[in-house]
Amino acid sequence: MLRLLRLLRLHRLPAAASLCLAACTAPAPAHGVALEPPLPRPSFTLTDTQGKPYDFAQRTHGRLTFLFFGYTSCPDVCPVHAANIAAVLHKLPFEDQLKATLVFVTVDPARDSLPALRAWLDHFDRTFVGLRGGESAVDSVMGKLGLPAAIRAAPAKPNGWYEVGHAAVVIVFTADDVAHVMYPFGTRQVDWAEDIPRLLKVGR
Amino acid sequence: MTQWWCSASGRPWTWEPQFYPGVWIAMIALAIVFGILARKGRLMGESRLVFWSGWTAVGFVWQALDWPIGPLAAGYLASAHAVQFLTLALVAPPLMLLAVRRPLAAAVPAAGQGRSIAMLLTQPIIAGVLFNVITITTHAPAVVDRLMPSQLGAFAIDMLWLAGGVVLWWPLVVSAPQRSWFTTPVRMLYLFMATLVHTGIAMVMLISQFPMYGIYELAPPWDVWSPIEDQNLAGGVMELAGAAIILGIITVMFFRWSRGVAGDNAPKAPPRD
Repeated sequence: MLRLLRLLRLHRLPAAASLCLAACTAPAPAHGVALEPPLPRPSFTLTDTQGKPYDFAQRTHGRLTFLFFGYTSCPDVCPVHAANIAAVLHKLPFEDQLKATLVFVTVDPARDSLPALRAWLDHFDRTFVGLRGGESAVDSVMGKLGLPAAIRAAPAKPNGWYEVGHAAVVIVFTADDVAHVMYPFGTRQVDWAEDIPRLLKVGR
Repeated sequence: MTQWWCSASGRPWTWEPQFYPGVWIAMIALAIVFGILARKGRLMGESRLVFWSGWTAVGFVWQALDWPIGPLAAGYLASAHAVQFLTLALVAPPLMLLAVRRPLAAAVPAAGQGRSIAMLLTQPIIAGVLFNVITITTHAPAVVDRLMPSQLGAFAIDMLWLAGGVVLWWPLVVSAPQRSWFTTPVRMLYLFMATLVHTGIAMVMLISQFPMYGIYELAPPWDVWSPIEDQNLAGGVMELAGAAIILGIITVMFFRWSRGVAGDNAPKAPPRD
């Protein structure tokens, strides 16, 4: 799993600190990987955990959005990212918490039913959005963002458990509806705590 | 691939027991050296209780280094790391030294250059400073995050704690070479001062808003508690268990000393003609 992830993992670049963000008035994030050129907020519709269509671009328009692809059986990267972002968001003032959304798209729809997805996300934060779609639909969204498609390994254990290789980055869209930066696995809570207040100001 | 020493592997935790050959080799070596010295100590009049306390301490060292505490401490839980530190630095060394203090004291040269070196190495001020330097260095997040993922690095931290514990406790337990100024009140002060640093580190762990150590924060999650709760627990263990050990020993030293002083000051019976 780790070897697979390492292949897909995007390494931290030192460029983040020198970012000039769209507004150029907000301080640049101190961590993460700068996206040059910035990624526009993608338009796609998948199913949310209530079973309703979720139009990503429309529902998250103008909001600080953490977009992350993973799966609920993930033993390491996904729960660490989700837990770290949740821990930092919970420390923000309430009005700032309301301005942020985490959207988690499962790359393993075969195992991640909507209730399973909801239960997993509730473990971190009840406001986190979970989305599910067909494998090809999800891979296509990842392709739009320049991420490699997920690799679903054949079951390697007697209980049928298998690993899914996927990009280990969190892409952050700011209020100006573009992503200037993404965060690889290894981003610490203290890094998020420094960057989220800055990201909240971008584009406002 | 078999690991020879417990280190942060980044793999999800499993309750399947793991075999660490390096730990077993180190424990066999420790048991042989300790066994020879403890037997000599027993022949020199050490009590059976002290002898078996020493062997119990060897068992504690083994438990602290081997599965499950060893790998949990190396890559999953800061609280297990705190338990390991207390065991290796504050619990096992004094018990082991107590069982072997007589042969160790006998081995200290009575005169010459050997005695000068022994005087320097067991000088309480040097020992106290050295223990605290080891404690600070091995708890610095940059050092922990850099060393713990490597087996050699994790081995170095474990051995430094054990060595630091021996250095700290030697002047108190072995008391050789003897120093006239190192009286019981000074010993109590020495023990109190020498452990202030780890109390400070424990406080930082307790009040810190975010996890201090990347290896525990980014490790495959331990579902029972979050990394910050684990770190708070580690701080609490270091603070409370550390204080209980140190203050408990200082209290015993104080009462023994005060009883001795009271005995010295007690009115003497008039000599009979």
